[in-house]
Parts: sequence; structure tokens; C-alpha cells
Amino acid sequence: MSTSTTVGSTGPVGGTDEERTGGTQAPGRRRRRQQAHNVEASSHHRGPAWTVAGYVGMALIVLVVAVPLFWILVTSFKERGDIYVRPAKWWPDPATGQNYSELTTRIPFFDYVRNSVIITSATSIAKIVLGVISAYALSLLRFPGRSVVFLVVIAALMVPNQITVISNYALVAQWGWRNTYQGIIIPLAGVAFGTFLMRNQFLNLPGEIIEAARLDGAGPLKLLWRVVMPMSWPTLVAFALITVVNEWNEYLWPFLMSDDESTAPLPVGLTFLQNNDGVTNWGPVMAGTILAMLPILVLFLLLQRQMIKGLTAGAVKS
Amino acid sequence: MNEFSRRGFLGLAGAAGIAGLSACAGTGTSATSGNGGGSSNTIEFWSNHPGNSKPVEQEIIKAFEAANSGLKVKLVDAGKNYEEVAQKFNASLAGGQLPDVVVVSDVTWFNFALNKQLTPLDDLLSSAKVQTSDYVDALFNDYKLKDKHYALPFARSTPLFYYNKDLWKAAGLEDRGPKDWDEFLTWAPKLKAAAGSDKIVMELPDGSNYLDWVFQNMVWGYGGAYSKEWTPTFSDPGTVKAGTYLQNLAKQGFLKLSKDPAPDFTAGIVACSMMSTGSLGGVAKDAKFPVGTAFLPGEGNCPTGGAGVGIPASISDERKKNALKFMEFLTNAKNTVTFTQATGYMPVRKSAVDLPEEKAFLDKNPNAKTAIEQLPKTRSQDNARVLLPGGGARIGKGLDQVVAGQDVATVFKSLDAESQQVFDSQIKSKLGA
Repeated sequence: MSTSTTVGSTGPVGGTDEERTGGTQAPGRRRRRQQAHNVEASSHHRGPAWTVAGYVGMALIVLVVAVPLFWILVTSFKERGDIYVRPAKWWPDPATGQNYSELTTRIPFFDYVRNSVIITSATSIAKIVLGVISAYALSLLRFPGRSVVFLVVIAALMVPNQITVISNYALVAQWGWRNTYQGIIIPLAGVAFGTFLMRNQFLNLPGEIIEAARLDGAGPLKLLWRVVMPMSWPTLVAFALITVVNEWNEYLWPFLMSDDESTAPLPVGLTFLQNNDGVTNWGPVMAGTILAMLPILVLFLLLQRQMIKGLTAGAVKS
Repeated sequence: MNEFSRRGFLGLAGAAGIAGLSACAGTGTSATSGNGGGSSNTIEFWSNHPGNSKPVEQEIIKAFEAANSGLKVKLVDAGKNYEEVAQKFNASLAGGQLPDVVVVSDVTWFNFALNKQLTPLDDLLSSAKVQTSDYVDALFNDYKLKDKHYALPFARSTPLFYYNKDLWKAAGLEDRGPKDWDEFLTWAPKLKAAAGSDKIVMELPDGSNYLDWVFQNMVWGYGGAYSKEWTPTFSDPGTVKAGTYLQNLAKQGFLKLSKDPAPDFTAGIVACSMMSTGSLGGVAKDAKFPVGTAFLPGEGNCPTGGAGVGIPASISDERKKNALKFMEFLTNAKNTVTFTQATGYMPVRKSAVDLPEEKAFLDKNPNAKTAIEQLPKTRSQDNARVLLPGGGARIGKGLDQVVAGQDVATVFKSLDAESQQVFDSQIKSKLGA
């Protein structure tokens, strides 16, 4: 299979990766960046009217993205009686930290955080490792039946997990794994998506470099670590980010498996702040949303740099 | 080799997918044949803690464990709403480890009962000598299928008529709810004039948020019904008249539908609404104006709602007996009072109202009193909404269309046809004779 994938398709690697991460993580950011490019280019040719239009467009998009976030933040500091009023209050007055203390007293918030961290890190690591090594085998190693294995993996991608949930539940419950970490983590650790994504990335790497490495005597593992992985860094980081965010927000399966705060993650825990028959006090819900968002935001800012570093490294190689 | 034809690829992928599916689908069936696992002296109680009631549930559980040494109750977070509890219960039915007691709503219990997944309680109740006549009749009989009861009422609510007393005064209206919907129609223009153009006379939940629940009151008020037993009666003149009334309210600008009327009502921009008694505590706490409550317009036209507790069918008799013991305790006069005072639900026992702590509570909370006084005037809901699969959603969609201005008779006629078809295809054969 690798013989028919030729070089030449390497050019857009950086571009597509950037778009892929941008597309799933922060659509606003990508658009803004593109707009910034347009403004830059056009200001040379078209005069100030276009520049102004560009800035107005940018401001609009910032508003669309930022206002709901701002509203969540402000609401989390409001007193209960100030949440539903007309005209709307755009600033908490008086500001109160009560929602945050209520959040931690009404539900065992830190238990949920602990569970979320354990479940997210375990499933993410499992997914990333499995994704990378299976994709590596399916793209760069030659063995009989490789295409069939790949097709089976892709078929697994096509079955939505809502369908397999009941039978997975039956199996895991029989093992006595309900309300345990392994019961939540292991069924989530399968990775058709990662295999698919990383395989395509590996196939797009310049064939000469791989061949050169093989000629120089690199074994399969060395090839993976020293040659393939460094060139695939942006895709890998993007994949890791998507995985972590997905796992952090995973709801259906942990909800079915967990019985109480000993294993339930944050998305399940936060629902108990909402009143399911009557009026919800939104203050603590918003406070919980903010706190649940923070770790992902930090992670994103950290990994974003890595992603850009990887982009330039990849560009030099080809 | 990697140049598969598209068709070949899809075919192979499909085949692999089907193989994968059928491989998983078989698992777990063996577990259901046993007694569903679990130990007989730990009672697993699956609840969504209706009305943020987890602390109260824990309090009642503690009292139960103190009164019954040797029995333990494990409270399980089974979801954020009734549908999620049903989903989790469904999953456990496929694969063992069943709960002992599970919360089922007015809509979800029936399907489980029909498929023999819930235990009929009558024999258990009589051998445990439970006074079933003390349960509020309409609430207890909500769980009746072919003369057997499949659940005990637990977190039960009814709609109430909420009004903004300030706006009522501004419109020069008496401090009470309307006698019937015709009277309300004479009030609406006054309210509109007094409230101003930026306010809304009446806001109701939309069709995907239980408009079909509160609308039953209008239907019954005009002599119609969604169904008589299993025969859909949307085309009944009374039902159509109620639909036309609803449409007129919207046409004249008196009615707005929203996902949840409570925020607008508490913000003071809505003059009145019909909402669950469960909202009472929250609305009273949030609103910056005096909140009035009244019976729903009409006599004996108030639908019931909310949830009960049931026992899975395939657990051992020993477990069933303990489960019933807990359910009886959970819903006895004293505990139903504790539970409802903390949440805003209705006491499910007739004798509850005579307890001194409930009397004191009602004296202090006149709005809660309205709800309880309305309780004897409640009526079990029509089968077409609560018992036909997808009934609530189907009727809600129809009502949305009516409010949007589509012809009432046409919409209701197709509701008749659809309901009949669902009954014929999904219920009729299982009902047997």
C-alpha cells in the first residue's frame, strides 16, 4: 500500500492539520485568523474602507463567541434574585462568591473532579497509544490481511456508540464492573477514530525519509519514535486535544455505569445541580460550568504552542 | 491493493459492521434469567432525586435503616430526569444487576408494566397489609393496568395557575384565578392594557415541554378529552373547541409559548401561567413581586403528573418484599410530608394533611395550600397522552402547529389517526383480552 502513496502530497500537511484543529476546537479563532490575513492583504490594495469592514467583521465574531461565555461568567457571580431580571444586568451587583461555595457544598464537587481527571487521563492515554501504534502498523508495516483489518476498524467507526451501549452494559455488568473505574474506562478506550486519523497522517509522510531511515537500519520501533512521530507531531497533538476534550465531556456511558460520586465524572455530577421538576437555581450551575471549563482551557493554551512548533518542524523536513 | 472500488469498500464495511453488531447483541441475556444479582438485604433505590431531593431521600433512608435493622438502602444517582432513569433501567434489564426500587414517571411506567418488567404490587401490598385506601385515589390509580397497580405514588405534582398579583391589581381584577376559560378571555384584554406592550398576558411551556400536560385542563374544561380509554377523541367537538380557544389566545396576542415560562414569570414580564407545583418554591424565592396561585380554571379538571416508585419483575421474592417495605415507608404519611415540604410536591396520603407538622406548614404557606386543596379535584390523565408510546411528544407537536395557526380540525384529525395507529401496532396485541 505504501508504494502507491507517493510524495508530493506532503505540501498541505501543515495546512490541513491547522485547519483540522482549528475547525474542531475554535472555529472563531480560525475565521478570525483568516480574516486577519484578508485584511492584511487587502489593506495594500483597497484602502481604509475594507480595513474598517475587516475590523467590524472581527469584532462581530468576537462578540458571537465571547458574549455567551461572558454571560456564564457574570451569572456565576450573581445573587439568585439578580439572575432573572429585566432589563438584564450585565455586571454582578453586588458580586458574590456564594454560588461557588454552594457548588461545593450541594454536590461533592471535588469527588467529581477527581473522577473526571482519572477517567479522562486514563482513557485519553489509552486512546492515544492505541491509536498511534495501530495506525503505524496499518500504514507503514507490511503484513497479510492489513487492508481487511483496517476495514474492520473503519466499520467500528461507523457504528454509533449509542447502539453498542446496551450490549456493552450487559457485558460489563456481568463482570461486576458497574460503578468502578475500569468499568467506565475500558469500554471507552477503543479507538477507530484515532487509527483512521493517524493512519492517513502517516501515509502522507514523505516516502523517501521512511525508506532512508529503513536503509540506515532503523527497526520498526525506532522508525516510529525517531522519524514518524516527530514529523506527525501537529496531527498527534490535535488528536490528543480532541480526545481529551471528548473524554472530559463524555456523558452517556459514565452515567450508565456510575451509581454515585465514587465514580461519576463532572458532566454527570453537574446535572444534579439542576432541578428536574421546577425552577433551577442557575448560579451554581454556571459556577460549575466555569470550573469544569478551566482545565480544558489551560490544556488548550499549553498544547497550542506545541502545535505551532510542530507545524514549522514538519515544513522544514519536506 | 489499496484502490478499492467504492462499492466494494462499503459492502465490506457493512458486512464487518453487521458481524460486529450481531456479535455484541447476544451478550448478557443469560444474566436476566437469574434473579438479577444483588443481595437480598441491601435495597438499591434508583432515583433522579426529583426536585433536588437527595438530602431528604437520604434522611428518610437513614430513618428506615434505624427502624429496620439488618436492611440497608443504597441510593443510586440514576439520572437527571425521568427519561434518563428509564434509560438506565432499560440498560440494566438487558444485563442483570437490577435495582430493587426504581423511580418511574407518569409516562415511563406503562411501557415497563406492559412488557412485564415491573411487578404488579397488589399481592405484595395486601400481604404486607398496606392501607392502599389512604393513598390519594387519583394518584394511586394512575398506575393501574388491567386492575393491577404497578407503582406507588412518590413525587407527584399537578399544574397550578400562577399569577402576578401586581399586574392583577393594575388591571383591576379580583385577587383570584379565573372561574373558567371563558372568564379568562374577558380578563385578557384588561391585562394586556394594564401590563403594556412589552409584557405577556399568559406564557405556557411549548409542545416539547409539556404544553400537552397543562392543555388537558382546557380540553376537559370544554368537555373534550384526548381519548376515552383507548379510543382517541381529538376530533370530539369539545377537544376541537379547546384547540380553537388556544389558537385564538395566540392570534390575539395574549399567549406566548416558551421552553420554560418560569424565568419570564419570575422576571415579572408575564401576568400568568400554568406550571407544575414543583416550581412553587423556586418561583416564590426568585420573584420580586407577590405571587398568587389558584386552582386551574374549571371544576375537577386538573391533570396529575410526576413520578412513582416501582419494583422490577425479575428479582427474587425476598428482595421484592423488602423493596415494598421501603416503598411503603418512603410514602407513608409522615415521610410524604417531610418529602413534599422540602420539594413542593404533593403529599400522596390522605391522612398526611391531618398531621400537625403539615397543618403548621400550610398555615405559613398559603400557596402550597392551594395546591393541596386542589388535589381532590384532580383527574387521571388521558391514555392517549401518558400511555401511548410517544403520546406526549405527538400531542405537543400538534399543539405547536395549532398555536402557529394551522387549522385545528385538520391537525386534531391527524392526531386521531396517528394515535389509533400507534395503539393498533404497539399496544393492542400486548393488552390481550
